Amino acid sequence: MVLRIRQLGVARLGVVLVLALTVGVQAQNAGQESTLLSRIRRLTVEGRRSGEGYWAPDGKSLVFQSEREPGNPFYQIYTLDLATGDTTRVSPGYGKTTCAFIRPGSDQILFASTHHDPKSKQYQQEELDFRASGKERRYSWDYDTEYDIYARAGRTGALTRLTNVRGYDAEASYSPDGQWIVFTSMRDAYNRALSPAEQKQVALDPSYFGEIYIMRADGSGQKRLTSVPGYDGGPFFSPDGTRIVWRRFDEQGLIANVWTMKLDGTDQRQITNFGSMSWAPYIHPSGAYILFASNKLGFENFELYMTDIEGTKEPVRVTYSDGFDGLPVPSPDGRRLTWTSTRSGGSEGQIFLAEWNHQAALAALKAAPPRTNPPAR
Amino acid sequence: MTQRLLLFVAAALLMAAPAFTQTPPPSKTRAHVEVLASDRLEGRMAGSPGERLAGDYIAAQLARIGARPLPGHRDMFESFEFTAGSHDGGSRLSIAVGGGPGLDFDVPEVQALSFSDDGDVSGPVVFAGYGLVVPESQGYAYDSYATLDVKDKVVVVLRYFPEDADQPTRAILARYSDLRYKAMAARQRGARAIIVVTGPRSPNAGLTIPMSFDTAIAGSGIPALSMTGAVADALFAGAARRAGTAVPSLRDIQQQLDSGNPHVAGFTLPGITVTLKAAVIRERQRARNVVAYLPAAGGTSRLTKPWVAIGAHYDHLGRGGLGSSLASKEEAGGIHHGADDNASGTAATLAIAQTLSKEKHRRNVLIALWSAEEIGLIGSNAFITTPPVPLDQIAAYVNFDMVGRMQNNRLVVEATGTSPVWSRVLERANVAAGFDLILQPDPYQPTDVASFNQAGVVSLSFTTGSHADYHKPSDTADKIDYEDLDRIADLASAIVRSIADTDAAPAFTKVDQPTTTRSSLAGVRVTTGTIPDYATEVKGLLLGGVTGGGPAEKAGLTKGDIVIEIAGQTIANIYDYTYALELLKIDVPVKVVYLRGAERRETMLTPAARR
Ligand SMILES: [Zn+2]
Ligand SMILES: [Zn+2]
Repeated sequence: MVLRIRQLGVARLGVVLVLALTVGVQAQNAGQESTLLSRIRRLTVEGRRSGEGYWAPDGKSLVFQSEREPGNPFYQIYTLDLATGDTTRVSPGYGKTTCAFIRPGSDQILFASTHHDPKSKQYQQEELDFRASGKERRYSWDYDTEYDIYARAGRTGALTRLTNVRGYDAEASYSPDGQWIVFTSMRDAYNRALSPAEQKQVALDPSYFGEIYIMRADGSGQKRLTSVPGYDGGPFFSPDGTRIVWRRFDEQGLIANVWTMKLDGTDQRQITNFGSMSWAPYIHPSGAYILFASNKLGFENFELYMTDIEGTKEPVRVTYSDGFDGLPVPSPDGRRLTWTSTRSGGSEGQIFLAEWNHQAALAALKAAPPRTNPPAR
Repeated sequence: MTQRLLLFVAAALLMAAPAFTQTPPPSKTRAHVEVLASDRLEGRMAGSPGERLAGDYIAAQLARIGARPLPGHRDMFESFEFTAGSHDGGSRLSIAVGGGPGLDFDVPEVQALSFSDDGDVSGPVVFAGYGLVVPESQGYAYDSYATLDVKDKVVVVLRYFPEDADQPTRAILARYSDLRYKAMAARQRGARAIIVVTGPRSPNAGLTIPMSFDTAIAGSGIPALSMTGAVADALFAGAARRAGTAVPSLRDIQQQLDSGNPHVAGFTLPGITVTLKAAVIRERQRARNVVAYLPAAGGTSRLTKPWVAIGAHYDHLGRGGLGSSLASKEEAGGIHHGADDNASGTAATLAIAQTLSKEKHRRNVLIALWSAEEIGLIGSNAFITTPPVPLDQIAAYVNFDMVGRMQNNRLVVEATGTSPVWSRVLERANVAAGFDLILQPDPYQPTDVASFNQAGVVSLSFTTGSHADYHKPSDTADKIDYEDLDRIADLASAIVRSIADTDAAPAFTKVDQPTTTRSSLAGVRVTTGTIPDYATEVKGLLLGGVTGGGPAEKAGLTKGDIVIEIAGQTIANIYDYTYALELLKIDVPVKVVYLRGAERRETMLTPAARR
């Protein structure tokens, strides 16, 4: 074994040298990434785009969203069996869907969907026609007010509608015990009388009204946890189930930071103050640190970072590749990482998978300097 | 820690290691690569003894795993002919002044150019300077024939281009100084033959021109010789004597031309008649593809395409004599081991065949190891031209070329655009294999997959990419990453398995060729959308295919047509064609004359801009 590893080491060094001759910058980057990530590979290949890959609690499969079937230009939800490579669609196949999550201790999978909207198929055709026209769109994500959260039973495939209000309900995830769901809703923009300024805001960008909500796994007991102007979204439970991590945008929607809070919405703590769009946080199963994405290095250049759970250290950069890297999700055993990236080219993301070096991550965080800009408490 | 302590620790670990670990399974590919890239096989140049040994080894390995010769074939060897080089076959030149007796020269004072047509020719002589013709499109007028009538005459020209011209002028002239182009220019003006001399003011002064390796098989349509400076002197002295003038030295004549001034003209050599014979012996050699198959487990009668094919080229550059070697001066002439290129692909193919031989599959698995890839995909083209298995019965072809040097877990998959099934098949198989796949839809690659794509066969090609040892003697077996090579074989086995066992054959998608056609001239600005067949000997330009949606396809041209004239330029070979491209203008239709079978046809073709 020693011999094999040593040979491998030599081979890799040779490779790095060759690359340095041909594509110097990339080689260096691959070298920097390799402290934390190894065996990086593109996991999804089929279709125009894929993203948001979340692990099953046993680590044997993933659920993800992908645009890969002719006739529907919107995401549908698929599971990927990591032993066989089989993919299976678990969403209705029409309408828009997003943000799936597998329920611990159950065969249920939740996701947000608009398929109940009678205009679903019309929208699909309109989007296809729009693309065929070759025109460019300014915004790529719309917050369709029809999005509601569904849970799908694994055996029967039966769908249970968990939310049923006007306004985008999505970005949902289960608690580690499978009893709770935390999610994002923009219902606040539609369930009360708005001021003229607010009405303008809804027309411009309803995500301003995005807030974090919690409910039981059957959809009962829906309760709002945040009430600050600006898009609060992307919530996940901590591995011990006692806290929620999410990202909070400022009112302009340009700066975002990672926050944590208790399940009742109290003890809200700002973890990052990175002066950029820091979002898509996910806590490593060890509970020791938070992985997230940020465009610290340039508006369109998202990279993965991590910071300790209390946010006392300056974030440590994880990825060093051209293009977008975001939506990091560690495996339940903490030894692998999936994320969404455009590193293989093009503007549309695909899901990548790598081995994650937890010990190196702990060491890098230990060595990181204290945070330069502690937010005021 | 000191060096010694380190060594001690390493040794201790080494001894302890077997106690903790299972020995890794033996590599499925290593032994193959080590044999094929060994010194004994001398770089496996097509047609060489080393290539024969390699072919024998491969056939023995295939027999060992139970692969069989194709139905109706006695053995696994499919041999084909190709041009491996040329030498002079007794060229001569006789110079007669007035009616007097001739002054005779033969090899080595005169020698055929490698692209010469054979022939016996006699006629008066015209000196045409450098014999250069720059197309008008270049915005620089230079025509050595502007004031000369060379019809039915023998043309004498200088090699290269004006030596003292300024740099921009040289840059233009250099591009038209190729001897094939000069020969074509003379031929198109009705000359009977062309004789080239290397001027006293040029490099290689006075020397004849070596007969280069020239895989483009067809001649230039005109007898073409080179002569020494001494022969040229005799020619010019005879002319001077006849005219009763002082003998102008070739040096003086060249010096006048060397300024690059386009108005310095050539002249007729008065009273001189030359009689010449040009003879080229092209060395036709035979090389061998090794082709075998694993029979399907049951009947294949219900399958429309009962075959799936895998393959790789096993030939390499020998000692690098053919021009595609990238060896440094110090390494030149050494054995080009070709461990990565393409012992690695050959080994992967054998490993996959071995894996599949132990399983039952619904399709026959065709296994092909190509020769003469390095000199122009000749082996795979021979297969496509006379397919031992009908091509429309092959569900897919999976190719391997240079798969032994993995960098950062990256595996490049080419030709993925040839079928919509590939993304799904690759995604599924790669979940277990775990490569960072880089997909390239383009099947127009410089490897055998191009031959299959042009034949309309769904195809796929794997490579780990180029590296510092590419086409050098230093591409050796010890540098191959066998662990990852085995992983590639496993991934590809899964892919072939899925094609072999799925009822429906993958649908073929024609991929438009990126508009960088292979052209020997940089700066050609138009494209005709033709894909020349470089390997087959014809007079004219044989089309190996046409680019989807390109000008040629729109003009109704198709694979197998032989283009013999474009825009009034006769086309004897690929070189004529390349030069003719220079004359075309974007969006200006031109007449194309071509042969379809025995029938002569005409069409209009509108060239498009290259991207
Ligand atoms: Zn090759
Ligand atoms: Zn090669």
